[in-house]
This record gives sequence, structure tokens and C-alpha cells, in this order.
Amino acid sequence: MASVSEMYDVTWEEMRDKLRKWREDNHRNSEQIVDVGEELINEHASKLGDDIWIIYEQVMIAALDCSRDDLAWTCLQELKRQFPGSQRVKRLAGMRLEALEKYEDANKQYDSILQDDPTNTAARKRKISILKAQGKSAEAIRELNEYLEQFVGDQGAWHELSELYINEHDYGKAAFCLEELMMTNPHNHLYCEQYAEVKYTQGGLENLELSRKYFAQALKLNNRNMRALFGLYMSASHIAASPKVNATVEKANVKYATWATNQINRAYQLAGRGTKENKCSVKAVEEMLESITMS
Amino acid sequence: MSIKLTTQAYCKMLLHAAKYPHCAVNGLLVAEKQKEKKKDSHSTPILCVDCIPLFHGTLALAPMLEVALTLIDTWCKENKYVIAGYYQANERTKDFRPNQFAEKVGARIAENFSEAAMIMVDSTRFTMGCYEPILTIYDHHENKWKCRDCNADCFEDWCEAQKITSALLEGRSYESLIDFDNHLDDLRNDWTNPEINKSVLHLC
Repeated sequence: MASVSEMYDVTWEEMRDKLRKWREDNHRNSEQIVDVGEELINEHASKLGDDIWIIYEQVMIAALDCSRDDLAWTCLQELKRQFPGSQRVKRLAGMRLEALEKYEDANKQYDSILQDDPTNTAARKRKISILKAQGKSAEAIRELNEYLEQFVGDQGAWHELSELYINEHDYGKAAFCLEELMMTNPHNHLYCEQYAEVKYTQGGLENLELSRKYFAQALKLNNRNMRALFGLYMSASHIAASPKVNATVEKANVKYATWATNQINRAYQLAGRGTKENKCSVKAVEEMLESITMS
Repeated sequence: MSIKLTTQAYCKMLLHAAKYPHCAVNGLLVAEKQKEKKKDSHSTPILCVDCIPLFHGTLALAPMLEVALTLIDTWCKENKYVIAGYYQANERTKDFRPNQFAEKVGARIAENFSEAAMIMVDSTRFTMGCYEPILTIYDHHENKWKCRDCNADCFEDWCEAQKITSALLEGRSYESLIDFDNHLDDLRNDWTNPEINKSVLHLC
């Protein structure tokens, strides 16, 4: 089988830089990481310098994702040799046990880390991941809540909790988590947009109006967020169609929905370049516009 | 009353699940619109000719699902299709039972198409070789979902489906599969997946 460098005509430096980019963006493209990382480790280890240790870690986690225990084991041994007694490496060993579904052994590993260092957040979060993997959602939610009482600034954890709540259809609590995230990240359009989606799903006129406001806010922060644009259209048209609103509110929402539809239309025209599928989507959007202006 | 799947439909479902092994995924199945209701129409199985992958990750939110259903509905009308089914693969491999969300979406589809089916993908039996069908099919009877065994009879041509799906998995075609989420990230991404459809035809 051809090597990555041959197939894509890249140098080892470009491969190393790609790995760094994926690391920084926290991409979970594990198959690609394994392909590129394994070749880098096997063929170019000596050139990587100290970068190799973080690459071992990145490749190991990706290898676990791809059930490549052979590769994961190799990376783990190198890291154990270089950093004996490291908590960070201990956590990786725990993750390998998780991948092998040896949850009791993994928990013991994390407990031993926590004994030495009760503030080790990584070990605590891995224990919660084990609960999630075992389908114990209620316990996972409880533990994550306790964790967040202590580590209130952990954004990843707040986001994870919001997802756990969404999966349990507890949209009110999911909204609360997203509110925390919006407070600490007022410029993040994704949190705004997700909050709007949760509010919309909760339903009811008040929540719809809130969702419309937050879809609009997300658009203000990033006018290319298509989900926010579609969301604005959906929430405004539902409000306009509601029997509970007066004529003024209805008129205003028809205006918002119309504006949104025109923007959506424009976005599709820009992207479309006349492809057949996009002509269809454009038609669908036009029908959406007709349906609001008719009422 | 029962649905059958073409190779293209089965293939794209599995490719979607393979692209996001660490996420829940879901999507729709479409069938050709029957011209008229024949007297004994319940004996002819509905053939699901294509699959539209929808989302990956957090599935249980309403707005984008409604957008997808609206746009896909229009596309269906243009192509004389009808939305005939819904599939879902849960986040946890071992969890292959339909949850409340799947039942809700399934029921919504059944409102417009009485013979709609809900399909759950069983990831524990998912292999590159695709030696057996890994679906569980649920039919809507009197407001309840009844489970039906999925075997080679549920396919237009199981041998072909098995061979082609396996070939595309080996070739990592799932890397280029586009779902509705990908489309929302970049409108140029085509959720009808014409390239994959071509590959399937090519291998037939």
C-alpha cells in the first residue's frame, strides 16, 4: 500500500504541521491521524525532536478510536519510558483500558491518579466518560454537575453537560448550561445558535420568541451561520402563524421571516452555480417565501 | 406493507454510520411515489430507493430537522419520491433500541405515509465485510412500533448490497459522504451524494 507521503505528495514537515493543526482544532479525524502519524513515527521519528512526545499522545488516542491497540500500545510504551510516573501518561493508560472496555481497571487507574492529586480534572472527566459509555446517563449527569460546582470555568464540561441533558430531553437544564457558556463567551455564535435551537425545541410562544432573538444574535455575530438563518426563518414564521399573537407581532415576524428567506435565497444563489441539486433547494426556499407572504 | 431497500439506500446508511463512528447519526429513506393505490397494494412491498443522511452528533433538536424535512420534501416532490422511512444509529454501540426521539420522528413521517418504517442500525454487528444485514426494521401499527426481523428478503438484492457496501467501506467512500449537517456547514455540499450514487452504479 502506498504511503501517505507518496499518495498525497507531502513532505514529513507538512505531515507534522497537519498533525499540529488537527491537534489545535481538536479534530477527531482519527483514521487520518493514524495514517499520517504512524508513518511519521515509523519513518521520521529522529527528525521530530521533542514534538514526538505530543505526537505519540495524539496518535495513541486516535489509534484507540480505530481499534489499533497494537499502535496504541507502542505509543504508550514510548511515553511510559520517557515520562515514568507521569499522571498524564497514567491517564492515557486508563483510556486504553476504556477502549478495551475494561472499565473497572480503568476506574482503578483514575482513582489512583486522584489519590495522588484530587484536583486532577482529566481523571475525573474520564470517570464520567465511563459512566456515559456504560449508558448510566443519570449518574453521568450527577457526577458532571458535582464536577462543575468545583470547576465552574470548564467550558468543555458545560457543553458536554448540555448535550447529556438534550439527549435526556431535559431542554430546560440544557438551556441553563448554554446560558453559562454564552455568559463567558458572548462572542461565540455557535453557543447562541445552539441555545436558540434548544429554546425552539422546548416550544411555546415565549420560548419561540427567545429562540428567534438568539438566532438573530448568532447572525449578528456571524452572518454566515446558515443554521441561525434557517432558525430565524423557522421561529419567525411559527410566531407569525400562532393564533396567540396580535396583528403587530404577526406583521413584524412576517418581516423577519421574509428577510431571512431572502438571505437564504441569496446564500443558495452564491453557492449554487446552477447545479441541479441547488436549483431544487432554491425552489424549496422560494416555496417557503410564498407560504409566508400568502398568509 | 413491508419496505424493501435498494443497494444504494443501504449503502449510504452504512457509510453515514461509518463516517461518524463516535456519534449518533440519523437520516431519511425515500421511495418512489406509487401512481395509484391498487386494490391489493398491501402485498407489493415499498421499495426505498435512496437514503438522505441528515445529522450526526446531537440529534434531538427540532429546528434543523424541520428545515431538512421541508427541503427534502420539496426535493421529493420534484423527483416523484415520498419520504418513506427514518433511520438512526445511536451513539453507544450497544444501544440499538429506538429512543423517544426516533419514535417521534417516525410517527411524524407516518402521518404523511402510512407504511413508513423506522430503522435502527445495530453497530455491534457492523463489519467491513457486511456479512449480515445489521438493521432492525420497525413498522407502525396502531400507534405502536412493531419490530420485524431483517434478513435478505428486506433487500432488493442482498448479495449486491453486501458486495457493494463492503467495497465502498474498504475504499473509505464514507469520507466523501455528505449529510445535511455538512450541507448546513457549507451549502455547496450536496446531500444527494451524486458521486457516491455513481460509485454504487459503477459497481453494480
